[in-house]
Amino acid sequence: MNNGEIQSLLITKCIDAATHSMNAVEKWRMQRRSLERLPSPLASALFHRLLIRRLLFPSLLQAFKYSVEEVDLSGENAVDAEWMAYLGAFFYLQSLKVAGCVRINNPALWPLAGMTSLKELDLSRCVKVTDDGIKHLLSISQLEKLYLSKTGVTAEGVKLLSALKKLSTLDLGGLPVSDMALRSISELINLEYLDVWGSEISDEGAKTFKNFSKLGLLNLTWTKVTKLSNLQSIECLNMSDCTIHSLVENESDQVSLRKLIVHGSSLPEAEKVFSSIEPSCFSFLNLSNTSLSYFGFLRRMDALAHLDLSFTAVQDDDAEAISCIGVSLRHLNLNHTKFSNAGLETLAGHVPNLEVLKLSNTSIDDFAIGYISTMPSLKELDLSKTNIKGFLSQISNEDDVLSLAALQDLKHLARLNLEMNRVTDEVVHVLLDFEELSHLSLSHTLVTDKCLEHLSQVKKLVNLLIQGTLLTNGALESFNPPITVEALDLRGCWLITMDSVTLFCKKHPGIKVRHDDLSEPSVDHSNTSTSVGTAQKGSKLSKLKQSDRKSSLSPYSFKNKVLGKLHIQYAFSSSVLLKFLA
Amino acid sequence: MTKEETVKLISSEGFEFVIDKKAAMVSQLLRNMLSSPGSFTETADGVVNFPDISTTILEKICQYFYWSLQFSSGKETEFHIEPELTLELMMAANYLDT
Repeated sequence: MNNGEIQSLLITKCIDAATHSMNAVEKWRMQRRSLERLPSPLASALFHRLLIRRLLFPSLLQAFKYSVEEVDLSGENAVDAEWMAYLGAFFYLQSLKVAGCVRINNPALWPLAGMTSLKELDLSRCVKVTDDGIKHLLSISQLEKLYLSKTGVTAEGVKLLSALKKLSTLDLGGLPVSDMALRSISELINLEYLDVWGSEISDEGAKTFKNFSKLGLLNLTWTKVTKLSNLQSIECLNMSDCTIHSLVENESDQVSLRKLIVHGSSLPEAEKVFSSIEPSCFSFLNLSNTSLSYFGFLRRMDALAHLDLSFTAVQDDDAEAISCIGVSLRHLNLNHTKFSNAGLETLAGHVPNLEVLKLSNTSIDDFAIGYISTMPSLKELDLSKTNIKGFLSQISNEDDVLSLAALQDLKHLARLNLEMNRVTDEVVHVLLDFEELSHLSLSHTLVTDKCLEHLSQVKKLVNLLIQGTLLTNGALESFNPPITVEALDLRGCWLITMDSVTLFCKKHPGIKVRHDDLSEPSVDHSNTSTSVGTAQKGSKLSKLKQSDRKSSLSPYSFKNKVLGKLHIQYAFSSSVLLKFLA
Repeated sequence: MTKEETVKLISSEGFEFVIDKKAAMVSQLLRNMLSSPGSFTETADGVVNFPDISTTILEKICQYFYWSLQFSSGKETEFHIEPELTLELMMAANYLDT
């Protein structure tokens, strides 16, 4: 978000200083003239930092009345009617996200009524918001984006939305939207994005979609819709968990989709459905979990860049059809399929631009690596849970040939997943020559202490996962990670003790370490901001801060834990007090 | 120190700060002003007026310029910012693109 965009070191330092403590906040919160002049991106950055540091409370919101344009309070338990009363008075507020703020109810939305600047409102998962709450929103005349998924709104409330003529994005996911309700909002001709997953819409209601002449994205997951009539503007269609009969009215018609997701759907007439898709701009297809048995239609989809066939019946015989996609293909997911070495042999040489290849839970073994090494653009390779050992056993010769060495030809390979394979330390040695390798997983493999020694020489390593291995304290103590490393996951390494992890964290404060004994990833904010050396480190720091921020948006459990601890302390001290009084 | 190597920054109250040109270059705005050929009168005179920046803030900015030079040459010291200055300083930093 905005905070991440602040590049200036001085501004970052100012924000750090301003949000250092409640006392610091008191020093500037009365500077009304400055607050009014604060440019919106700066105000937003300051606002959200206060939020992260738990220094934001309703009356302090007042300070940002004239400066903040975007507010994201998603997932904040504390947000209630009082917060909303202040936010409703924000002069220039354009975007308000309060997704998952469970204390927001219908009266809490009242202050938003009549706001003239508000263009985006996210009320997703605010379960207490119902049809009566919708009435408060109808006077927000400029509203363009409204997210109401998983709220308490019913079909009646949805009907009211027809008053919001400027709506271009409408998320009604998980609401009981009926065919009738859909018809009553058909006046919203500016709609570009409509999400009605899990609704009661049927084929009858689906005819209404024609009215939305600008509709580009439609999510019909988990509905009873089986047929769509020609949708001219549609680009992205999600019909996961549906039964799909056709996407066009007449058999000769074509629909020019860009993206289609039919995860877990049944396609009794797959051939017909796919032949109605105009192939020239069709670039994204997710067929995972479908029961398709024939994939010949892929031959004409020569613009596909992203193809997900995981958990399908795709097998080696279908490789020929996939290879017809050829140069367009960049992302191929074959996880949990019957694909094997033979299939890869067919693909080899036909997919020169493939960047991501996922083969987890397939029966491929070390012989497949030779074929994979002919895909020169590969950046990410998932080989977890396969039969790969890392070397080819020679029958005639005593020496084993390290099969993974063939991957050294892949000059762009940055992410490699070898989880749950019988990979040993000698194999890890090969990885030293992978120039771009930044993300590596060796979790649940046979690697031991020696592998860390090798890994300290992987120059660009950023993220390392070695969960569930037999690493010892000694290895961790002598591990000298490359300067680029940001995260190390040691969960399930039961031979490593807490002390050893703590010591490592102290030695390398910039690395986020995860271990079963550590409750939180250990990156100390104040520590890192003072120990920055070169400009290069500075950029790493800002990255760290960003990731830190991301992680601190979500950890609900952490907050609750802390709160829980406070409660316990409080309960304890009050019981002591009671005893004393008695 | 010759005149060419320094610049004069003038605060809203008229206080003058004479600093090294090298330090002033930490600000992208000043860098552009001082190094672009012709057009700006600032380029020739080496004098820049800041009618919107108070003396206190401009002093802090100048301190930051020097701190930043040291910082980028690898010397790690704390740059302390008083909380009451944060808002104005942030805005000045934003304006000066530093």
